[in-house]
Amino acid sequence: MLIDSSNDAALWFAVQRLYAAEARYLDEEDYERWFALLTEDLEYWMPTRETRFRRDEAPPDPQRMNFYRETLESLRMRASRLATGTAWSENPRTRYRHLITNVEVFPAGGELRTLSNFIVYRHRLEREEAWLVGRREDTLRTLDGELRIARRTVLLDQTVLRSKNLNVYL
Amino acid sequence: MDVSGLIDTREGWVDRRIFWDEAVYQQELDRVFARAWLFVAHESELPNAGDFLTTYMGQDSVIVARHSDGRIRVFTNSCTHRGNRICFADAGHARQFTCNYHGWSFGTDGALLGMHEEAHYAGWLDKPRWGLHNARVETYKGLVFACFDAEAPSLEEYLGDYRWYLDIVLDQTDEGTEFIGGCVRNDFQANWKFGAENFIGDSLHASWTHDSGAKANTFGKPVPDFMPVAPDSFHANANGHGWEGGTDGIGTLGLLGLRRPAIMAYYQQKRADMARRLGELRATRLFGSVVSASVFPNFSYLPGIGTMRVWLPKGPRRIELRAWTIVNRDMPDAVRDAIRDACMETFSPSGVFEMDDGENWENATRANEGVVTRRQRLHYGLRVGTSRRDDPDLPGNIARPMYSDVNQLAFYQRWLDFMTAPSWRDIPRVR
Repeated sequence: MLIDSSNDAALWFAVQRLYAAEARYLDEEDYERWFALLTEDLEYWMPTRETRFRRDEAPPDPQRMNFYRETLESLRMRASRLATGTAWSENPRTRYRHLITNVEVFPAGGELRTLSNFIVYRHRLEREEAWLVGRREDTLRTLDGELRIARRTVLLDQTVLRSKNLNVYL
Repeated sequence: MDVSGLIDTREGWVDRRIFWDEAVYQQELDRVFARAWLFVAHESELPNAGDFLTTYMGQDSVIVARHSDGRIRVFTNSCTHRGNRICFADAGHARQFTCNYHGWSFGTDGALLGMHEEAHYAGWLDKPRWGLHNARVETYKGLVFACFDAEAPSLEEYLGDYRWYLDIVLDQTDEGTEFIGGCVRNDFQANWKFGAENFIGDSLHASWTHDSGAKANTFGKPVPDFMPVAPDSFHANANGHGWEGGTDGIGTLGLLGLRRPAIMAYYQQKRADMARRLGELRATRLFGSVVSASVFPNFSYLPGIGTMRVWLPKGPRRIELRAWTIVNRDMPDAVRDAIRDACMETFSPSGVFEMDDGENWENATRANEGVVTRRQRLHYGLRVGTSRRDDPDLPGNIARPMYSDVNQLAFYQRWLDFMTAPSWRDIPRVR
């Protein structure tokens, strides 16, 4: 697919289809197929959020602490944990559901910038539940005719992550 | 309540009630957290007068601020008028803190400065008496601790022989240490002591719980490959604070260095200097090994990995973990970035090691509550009674090798000291 900025509806449809497939792969822990949607030079970053008075507000800073600051290589490393057979906190498996909404697409110099909102529900064992809500800011690129995710910033809306771990991608 | 029957450090068992009982927990807030020196900040988080952050001592919300005289003050974050919380930001810069309710305003030293409609208070209020309650504040090589108990000994005496171990992390260079900006916070539905006792001495869990994280992070190596349980690996404790680890000097650095050689290169270049400051043993054999450590009651760290954290109690069944990354001030940016990322990738909510810990602590907290279950004691007897205080090389109480419950029991002995003592006068100064 070529990025044709004149066809707004086609762009939006292509991005929606990409995000729906990505959400399904993540829900199903099908990480190999997820990796195929990412570029080799992927930058995946999820900063921590801080509560500040308005006068002290500052944008998230890559030098500061984060939940994720990943490359494709480090995501592969993380995924290999599941294959060891001793990832105790993933057995029995956690159920995930990624809901991706409010998608906006902005063509920018041969790439696409997108904004999307997410709700991710996690359920585990008898009644463990966690809700993760926030926004993603992506840069998408066309590679071999297919849209790929080249950069993602994940902004969680929680200050304190209300969960014992973060074993999910957003 | 009398908790002396809940733990037996000679036989090596613990009553499950200490992990969920509300009465035990309330007594901990009163007798442990309102008495002990508690970690509240690193000095580098508050470089300038007016810089502040908020945290908790036990469940008491406190403001930590650098006052105009350059000193760091710690005071309760609750107005002296109706008790409303005063400061709602995690951190920032302020000249004063003003309550939203009636506009009572306090300085960065906690002093009451004034209020909305102050003229009406003429003759009705003695301002100097109604400032915010200040804790004692002392620092140790960059770490800021606070204490609510006027009878507590100095921070130096509280740490005692344990300073020898803390220095391995805090005193590597002339320039000292600082925190990477920001803090990772997350909740566990677990008792705070599970975090503290795990970090003070539970190397045994590492090779089982963290098998998957280790193999993922090291291209397939199991934990014993970089954490050998050699005969001279050890538990050390002093005054309820503990350090456990090996003496190979390479396990942790090797783990980090596999994927981030900049960290290894920095330390290779630094170790001769470190040995001049700390001696060969600490600089080249203790530092760099796989080590985990805790300061009583709820401050833990992993030398080399760089994580420093507090297990903030939020009820008997909930912890808020706040975690930072400590680095040397003289580290080049590339090394700081590498340590931050390695620390997050291993020991943080998303860390491939840490993500398996919470599962254990949450389910232990829950399962210990069963009415019949709770009548069965928990085994803490591995190498019980084997520690000695007269080691020629290592200060404190030493037991070898490190697969052991010795430090955990020292932690619980200190817990008993605090929980059973009517006041600081009744708490042994040296343990």
